[in-house]
Amino acid sequence: MSFATFQTVSLGNIRLHICPSDKFKTTTFSAFITNSLQSDSVTKNALLPNVLSRGTRSYPTTVALRQKFNELYGAGSFGDVFKRGERQVIQFGMDLANETYLQDAPSLLEEGIRLFCEIILDPFAENNQFHPAFVEAEKKNLKQRIDSLQDDKIRYAAERCVQTMCEGEPYSLYTYGNAEDIAAIDAKSLYDHYHEILDRSPIDLYCVGDVDSEEVKTLFAKYFDDKMQKATRAEVPFATVSHHVDKVKMAVDRLDVNQGKLNMGCRTQISIRDEAYPALLMYNGILGGFAHSKLFMNVREKESLAYYCSSSIESHKGLLFIQSGIEEKNLERAIEIIKEQLTVMKNGEITDRELEQTKATLSNQLREGQDRAFELIGFHFQSVLSGKSRTLEELLQKIDAITKEDIKKVAEQVELDTIYSLRGKEREKQ
Amino acid sequence: MKKLDHPQLKETLYYEQLPNGLQVYLLPKPGFQKTYATFTTKYGSIDNTFQREGQEKHQVPDGIAHFLEHKMFEQESGEDVFQQFARQGAAANAFTSFTRTAYLFSCTDHTMENLLTLLDFVQEPYFTDQNVEKEKGIIGQEIKMYDDNPDWRSYFGLIEAFYQNHPVKIDIAGTVESISKITKETLYDCYHTFYHPSNMLLFVVGGIEAEKTIQLIRENQAAKKFDPPAKIDRFYPGESNAVSEAKKIMKLSVQTPKCLMGYKEKNTEVNRTGTDRLKQELATQICLDAMFSTSSDFYQSLYDDGIIDDTFGFDYSLEQGYGFTMFGGDTHQPEELIKRIQEEVPRRLSTGITQEEFNRIQKKRIGASLRSLNSLEWIANQFTSYRFQDADLFDIIPTLEKLTLDDVNERLRNHFQPEQFAVSLVLPK
Repeated sequence: MSFATFQTVSLGNIRLHICPSDKFKTTTFSAFITNSLQSDSVTKNALLPNVLSRGTRSYPTTVALRQKFNELYGAGSFGDVFKRGERQVIQFGMDLANETYLQDAPSLLEEGIRLFCEIILDPFAENNQFHPAFVEAEKKNLKQRIDSLQDDKIRYAAERCVQTMCEGEPYSLYTYGNAEDIAAIDAKSLYDHYHEILDRSPIDLYCVGDVDSEEVKTLFAKYFDDKMQKATRAEVPFATVSHHVDKVKMAVDRLDVNQGKLNMGCRTQISIRDEAYPALLMYNGILGGFAHSKLFMNVREKESLAYYCSSSIESHKGLLFIQSGIEEKNLERAIEIIKEQLTVMKNGEITDRELEQTKATLSNQLREGQDRAFELIGFHFQSVLSGKSRTLEELLQKIDAITKEDIKKVAEQVELDTIYSLRGKEREKQ
Repeated sequence: MKKLDHPQLKETLYYEQLPNGLQVYLLPKPGFQKTYATFTTKYGSIDNTFQREGQEKHQVPDGIAHFLEHKMFEQESGEDVFQQFARQGAAANAFTSFTRTAYLFSCTDHTMENLLTLLDFVQEPYFTDQNVEKEKGIIGQEIKMYDDNPDWRSYFGLIEAFYQNHPVKIDIAGTVESISKITKETLYDCYHTFYHPSNMLLFVVGGIEAEKTIQLIRENQAAKKFDPPAKIDRFYPGESNAVSEAKKIMKLSVQTPKCLMGYKEKNTEVNRTGTDRLKQELATQICLDAMFSTSSDFYQSLYDDGIIDDTFGFDYSLEQGYGFTMFGGDTHQPEELIKRIQEEVPRRLSTGITQEEFNRIQKKRIGASLRSLNSLEWIANQFTSYRFQDADLFDIIPTLEKLTLDDVNERLRNHFQPEQFAVSLVLPK
């Protein structure tokens, strides 16, 4: 079966990527605005999608805007930020029912695109500033979101590991910014920042669904007209990947918890742009990406130390993270087993079966993404963002050809950087 | 094999009940790479007291359905079945809910082999004293992980506030203490009672061909021997209409308090099946949407007053024997939030939902149902859940279209009664 392909067209200096497909019952849009990850803008960028989702010129109250979505057969819509390497990307998404499947429904496409563009381009604003009440409410919401990170111990431990490991590097910044920076942001400064990124940052638009490409192109060109021509968009630099470790960092936090968390961070020296990237995917898969992987088998199945123990990679910064939930008294034993697995990988001790299983499950994971519109978009956007075009077919072929020797070469470059643990409060001495 | 056409949705569902009682549903999705299959038994955490026809009555330790789910992956060969799925490129998993245990895989290749692996591993239990003991450490860590999760704790806190006796209030995984009592013998008792094909449903959706797939399933099942189907009696303690406690408070290591509230269904409202059940669920969801969704004035006023944040959400659960609405999220002013809810709901009961609101939300929910049909996982799991309650997933949109404002307002006044209200609070230590 062939894979979905995107057709990319330029709307002035904005890219529009369209993938016509009749297998979905909805039409999906995304817009990505790419920024460099910096401490002076990270919090403002995090605030923007929420403020923009509050009201537009035509629908100046949030209730009016949300009700308009309901009228469009519950168009799903969101705005968010995410981090890829040392870039912070603002994303807007919309998912619109395809009227073919509805009784007596009018065409929704143009109305949907118009509304989608209006949220991004034409917010409710007066006197060259956002509506102050929107900004103040969203500041509170963001503050609460940042503060609540500590309530989700799995995510909190992961974030603390990143902060420890990448101290002094932009990557250490939290996706949603700094709580301390929120107070100083106001409706005017945020509005100025919004215009700056709208005019200067790279913008990618996506559409997946049972659509006519020409019609989609015409509609986006119509509503984005103003932004297409006048601005020059600067490329945002890629993260620094190469990083050698002198000494493994150790960090411990104590909170009142029942279960400890163990997070270990490694530098792989390899990013999505490198030829060795498919081998890195295989490395991660054999080490800890799946239920047949070394970490799961050794930490969970052999020693019953944990319910979960897995690894994952950050492909734009060249990082690999290992995470597990471990009873405090077993932490040292778990660290020992995990280090053993890293050594085993360096020694190239990989069985034929592990190689075969990981090729099969990794390829499956990549192919499955084809059946979800937002994942289809995400996969394509990775290549846009990295500047390394690699189609799914190519990636699958490369994975299929990977040898144990290729994986050993990756393993030799992987350096353990940080061991972070979250532990229970020390009992007071009697 | 029966063919059930849904022309408006451009979907064709195939159905067959095999001689051993297994219900098989197949939904080919042209253009999809992936196939997703679930093999589900109508057996969940609430089924802790039961009697299989001709056998004695059993009362089993809390958490055993979930424990059994973990142990099914063990095989006589000594290799767990994840290994085999991995060789065939599949991602396999399982989950246990209050009323169901489901085994599942998704794959884009070797689909028929994976389907056979699924059928075979679930139908060949292998429990030993040793492998049962080993699992106690792993599940113990799973329980501790949930103990530290404030969302899970506030969710269960509210169910405990609602229910005095019904086993829905017992944590699905049980406790470290209750699972310590599990033996291979009790696991086999549960297995032989609930994993008979006549108590199970197989759903396969995605890039499959119906005729070839059913042929394979028929042959696989015909080659296996099963006892004749036996009637299963399930015993649940009596539950009064009243909530168990109006407010339950827990102290955890959190920065932001969590406040979850809701209404418990009365006993008269938890025994509908088929389209009536579906109608009750959809009408309740429209009520919740009208009052608490982001498109309501009430939500926006709470949000702009800084009482709630965007974690605020709502949900409705309905099964045979229990049901409840839930809404809430993170808040630094839980008492103010409870007060505002307790003012708003009675106000809405007296004004009712308007025709304009109803029309708008009806459209929204039709669109949302259509969107859900993009997800193979949602289709298989939701279809099975409905089928076990004699309802049909593909009736959602027609039932939504037939609902009236009167239906919804009747539901509003029936469900949101002050004496059925309870609160679960998670506060910082």
